[in-house]
Amino acid sequence: MRSIADSTRLCVPRITAFAVCLAACAVLPPSAEAQELGARWGTANRERAYYRIVDLPIPEGLVIEAGAFVSLSGDRIAVGTRRGDVYIMGRVDEDKPEPKYELFATGLDEIFGLAYRDGALYVTQSCELTRITDTSGDGKADRFETISDAWGYANYHEYAFGSEFDEEGNLYVALGLSQSYHSRALFRGWVMRITPEGETIPIASGLRSPAGIGPNEHGSLFTIESQGPWNSACSLKAVTPGAFLGHPISFNWYEYAPNMGPAPTQPESGSRVITEMERVPELVPYAVIFPYIRMGRSITGFTVDRTGGAFGPFEDQMFLGDFTLSLIMRATTEQVNGVWQGACYPFREGLSTGILDVHFTPAGNLLCGGTNRGWPVRGLEPFALQRLDWTGVMPFEIERITITPDGFRVAFTKPVDESTGADPDSYALSTFTHIYHGAYGGPEVDRTIPTVESVELAQDRRSATLVLNALKLGHVHEFDLGALRSRDGDELLHRHAFYTVNEVPEDR
Amino acid sequence: MLHPAAAFRFALSLLCTSAVAAATPQAVAPVLPGLHSKHPLDDRLVGRLLLGELNCTACHEEASARAARRTMGPDLSDVGWRVASDYMQRFIADPAATQAGTKMPGLLGTRPPAERAEIATSITHFLVAGSPRAFSRARVSESEIEAGEALFHSVGCIACHDPRIPAPQGIDVIWGWAGAVDLGHVPDKYSPESLAEFLFEPTRVRPAGRMPDMGLTQAESRSIAAYLIGTSAPTHVPLEVLPELVTEGARRFELLGCAACHALDGMTPPRPRPAGSLDPTRGCLAPDSVDTPRYALSIYQKVALRSALASPPDALSDKDKIDVTLTALNCIGCHVRDDYGGVSPSLDPYFTTSELDLGNEARIPPQLTLVGAKLQGEWLRKVLFDAASVRSYMHTRMPRFGAENLAHLPELFAREDDVEPFEMPIPKGDAAGIARDAGRVLLGIKGLSCISCHDFNGKPSPNFRGLDLIDSCERLQPGWFARFLIEPQTYRPGIVMPESWPGGVAAHPILEGDTQAQIRAIWYFLSQGRTARTPEGVSPVRSELRVTDTTRTYRGRSSIAGFRGIAVGYPGGLNYAFNARTGTLTGIWSGDFISVRWDGQGAGDFNPSGRAITLAQDVSFYRLPDAEAPWPQGPHMDEEHPVDPDPLYPRNRGYRFRGYFFDEESVPTFMYESGDVSIEDRSEAEFSGDTAVLVRTLRFSAASEATLYFRALTGEIEALSQREFQAAKLRLRIPEGSSVLRRPARDGAPAELLLELALPAGTRTLSLEYEIHR
Repeated sequence: MRSIADSTRLCVPRITAFAVCLAACAVLPPSAEAQELGARWGTANRERAYYRIVDLPIPEGLVIEAGAFVSLSGDRIAVGTRRGDVYIMGRVDEDKPEPKYELFATGLDEIFGLAYRDGALYVTQSCELTRITDTSGDGKADRFETISDAWGYANYHEYAFGSEFDEEGNLYVALGLSQSYHSRALFRGWVMRITPEGETIPIASGLRSPAGIGPNEHGSLFTIESQGPWNSACSLKAVTPGAFLGHPISFNWYEYAPNMGPAPTQPESGSRVITEMERVPELVPYAVIFPYIRMGRSITGFTVDRTGGAFGPFEDQMFLGDFTLSLIMRATTEQVNGVWQGACYPFREGLSTGILDVHFTPAGNLLCGGTNRGWPVRGLEPFALQRLDWTGVMPFEIERITITPDGFRVAFTKPVDESTGADPDSYALSTFTHIYHGAYGGPEVDRTIPTVESVELAQDRRSATLVLNALKLGHVHEFDLGALRSRDGDELLHRHAFYTVNEVPEDR
Repeated sequence: MLHPAAAFRFALSLLCTSAVAAATPQAVAPVLPGLHSKHPLDDRLVGRLLLGELNCTACHEEASARAARRTMGPDLSDVGWRVASDYMQRFIADPAATQAGTKMPGLLGTRPPAERAEIATSITHFLVAGSPRAFSRARVSESEIEAGEALFHSVGCIACHDPRIPAPQGIDVIWGWAGAVDLGHVPDKYSPESLAEFLFEPTRVRPAGRMPDMGLTQAESRSIAAYLIGTSAPTHVPLEVLPELVTEGARRFELLGCAACHALDGMTPPRPRPAGSLDPTRGCLAPDSVDTPRYALSIYQKVALRSALASPPDALSDKDKIDVTLTALNCIGCHVRDDYGGVSPSLDPYFTTSELDLGNEARIPPQLTLVGAKLQGEWLRKVLFDAASVRSYMHTRMPRFGAENLAHLPELFAREDDVEPFEMPIPKGDAAGIARDAGRVLLGIKGLSCISCHDFNGKPSPNFRGLDLIDSCERLQPGWFARFLIEPQTYRPGIVMPESWPGGVAAHPILEGDTQAQIRAIWYFLSQGRTARTPEGVSPVRSELRVTDTTRTYRGRSSIAGFRGIAVGYPGGLNYAFNARTGTLTGIWSGDFISVRWDGQGAGDFNPSGRAITLAQDVSFYRLPDAEAPWPQGPHMDEEHPVDPDPLYPRNRGYRFRGYFFDEESVPTFMYESGDVSIEDRSEAEFSGDTAVLVRTLRFSAASEATLYFRALTGEIEALSQREFQAAKLRLRIPEGSSVLRRPARDGAPAELLLELALPAGTRTLSLEYEIHR
């Protein structure tokens, strides 16, 4: 029998003779870092009950700074990395995962796009779009065919982000500016379409620093833009052919894109997007604006939930990662009078590294990956692969917000309680817009407080139709539904949502 | 506080248990390791813990009202695969005699042995028939056993199970601790596969969390399973399931109320008996109980249960809840909290580390005293629920007990634990820069040299690899951080961390020797996270790519090959650079391959590891109108003219890159076009004495006859013969044929060696040799 009755006196810390101060302990002091990067949402602990974060262990010796994912045949997923490797992962969906990693290709140049077709990977690396195949069948890539390198690549910060295939078999590449401010090499700041025949066609100008490109939930091409000059916040932008997407520095390449016609009129700095659209008809307003810091600081790869409910109540919505704040957000879009717009919503914070791309696994979990190398990032892991799994418990969330001729329809994931749900005071709205200018970032301006004149709850209480005294064109409409309760008495998991109004539908 | 009589009671409990064990080995009382560790619970709390852990709550309302928590026994849905049928039968017939210290009560104790066996057999048939998979026991390998033995004694299993080999440092240990959960039955019970699966995710089968997930990989689980089962496990005779026994077994399962403790599809648990029906002098609690279900309770366990049942069913205080949880799950087998818990002296040598010089802190799990004031709430949740871990050198692992079993702990700790607050205001303006710089100095070798014992931002400490400081603000609360820096011995007794502010007085003069300002500066510096500048004394991590036994191809921007650069390195130490934008061999060097920038924002830019011979970057193939025409030069950009004035330069000169492919040795062949001519470009390395030769073969395919010029060399060129040319340290050999060495037409312009290639329709090859010194 071993003796535990140790005679050694334990040295007990001198706990300051403070009566236990419940109030002080309940609210943990924020760390200094919180103010450097922006406050947390503070919802991580509650989010945990609905979406758990599962680490996918990476064997020692492998560095997987995920920049892009794509699903292959079977249950395999390819991951392309900032270090230029392509790994093929298997067994990503197990409860306690121990994924298999096989190095498929190495020695490429910062991968931010992967697509897969007929046994070939289409890799967007900084220098080109490459078709990669394994012709010998030994599991390693041995043929690297250049599909397109019809853009300049000669300066710092010239990142290239690639899409998956669209229905016609096209791929798209979004090209960041030179040094993030200039357009010194061909088509920097543009979006290129690469056709199945291998032709490269410039289709839109005016990007600053895109970080992901692909379809929205309706199958239309979107790209995510970072905050900076001519962009006071990150935004989802609709890439319609011929579009000018806001940053005029890349007008110098119109002569190399005859299909695009002459360069647009230079927008006036210090104006508003909605105003400049009158003068610059090619200017496409930003579809979903993500209020800076409150909703991300450098939003990256996005994907659409087509899991058929396996990931919870957000089927057919977009999920987006944020690099700086190591979190995931949602967005929904709709086309009104031919113009795209929509809303963004907080979803899950507390990931371990800067997120560069997200992708749904075969089982319908959300694979998130990235690195925190190079820029300030909240998550402290140098690189990580993590999975968000729905626990099966229904969160009380704003499911989506859509616009009506005189207000909004707000849908919920669970029925709301009648007394708060039908009370206009439960719907605190305010609006703002940004200055459209060449300076970096910018404040939220022209704030208004609309009045919610009436609320009508749907019979199933899963949605509320709000009538406002006015909708502000060109403004982000900010919702704070903190006072709302579900029928079970729950508060919303996230009380905020942000709808960008570019157009108002006609009265029907 | 530890109850004054706790130590005595603890000793008494050991005595009672062992006395019983000695007299009737089949009647060892249910073992809960935490109750044999140095726990803080009085009789009443031990009783309330037992009411939950023994699942008295399943049958008694009185127990539910008082139990510290509700638990369930093992899930039986696949038990016929997990457990050998012969063992199952014996265990059901007499649990305590089959597995010493089991928490499973005897349910057949009042019946004659033959009837017991009969009932147990039918239930076994029922359970085996209901399992989707069938039990089978494979042999295990010696190598697995060896790995399993090492893991079993290092990852933390021995906190609850007796060790089986002497501790690494050979200290004499007396085994046979009454708190150890016995594993003697394991070879009879499991197969290597079923035990491995259980060890990989124990809480899936046993939701109570007392057997936690030790963070084992599948391979590690297999090793430990092999070790515990060994090579002498009995041969298993598969059970021939008889339908009539299955039906009878199902009936018995229901009658005996097995579903009260075990989840099984289609079986509903019996309703608990109403309050008022429990008589604490009878049943399990009677001195000579023969009733069922029968727990082989020790005298002390009965005392504790009676004490709990005699006390009012009031809510436990926060402190009691913490104490009971830490005891029930035996957290206190490894962790000290206040005056209880901790690794027992006899087990201490089994707690090992890869960083011996960091002292006990590197071996022994951290104390939980004040943990609610020490850790940020979210970090504590990550540790408890997401297996977050920062002490990679500690061999013992923090187990995962299952989120539902610990869900209440973070808030309880936060409410219970408190340190005097320490303000960490965010410096603004100039003060921010001053604080950041001072924090960096203090951490570095010219300051307090924290980095001598701590890694920093993924970069290794030059001496001892203590935990990385970069995540301090993510993990720690500022108040605890500050107090700990000033009084490390108070907050982590025995830690090797030196006192840098003895008595609260700064030893370093920076920031006017102001202790508070220095600590705030360190906090602010660390709060920058990954972007914090590396303190002095930490070496940067260099990424050297080396070539071993196969050729290596690497794409990245480089001063030697442009943004669309490609480096190729051959075994033996010869390398070249290729500019894919122009289709040109732009550099060649011997020795090591390349260094790559993968730190900070590094995009993987490469530089030759050796001194390289550099060549021109312009297109190297072009359809010159005649041998006198000037060679088309690439556009020139500089600070004053940063925009590319001729963005289609290569394309408009007929050049187009098509990619590359590898052969079996991974040697790349580049594919590109010049006008209508397709070119395949492949090189091999040859070595002879002190020279290395790159043998480059160009294969041209043209649909019709074409004349193409190849600019083979530029610079100061000396013709050694018709076929051999020297430029600086490079010697180039070309085949016989038409070549022109053009002298510069103007000062400063380079000489050019041009080859005129008259290409027939079809294919033609050209071989060149680039020779350099090794």
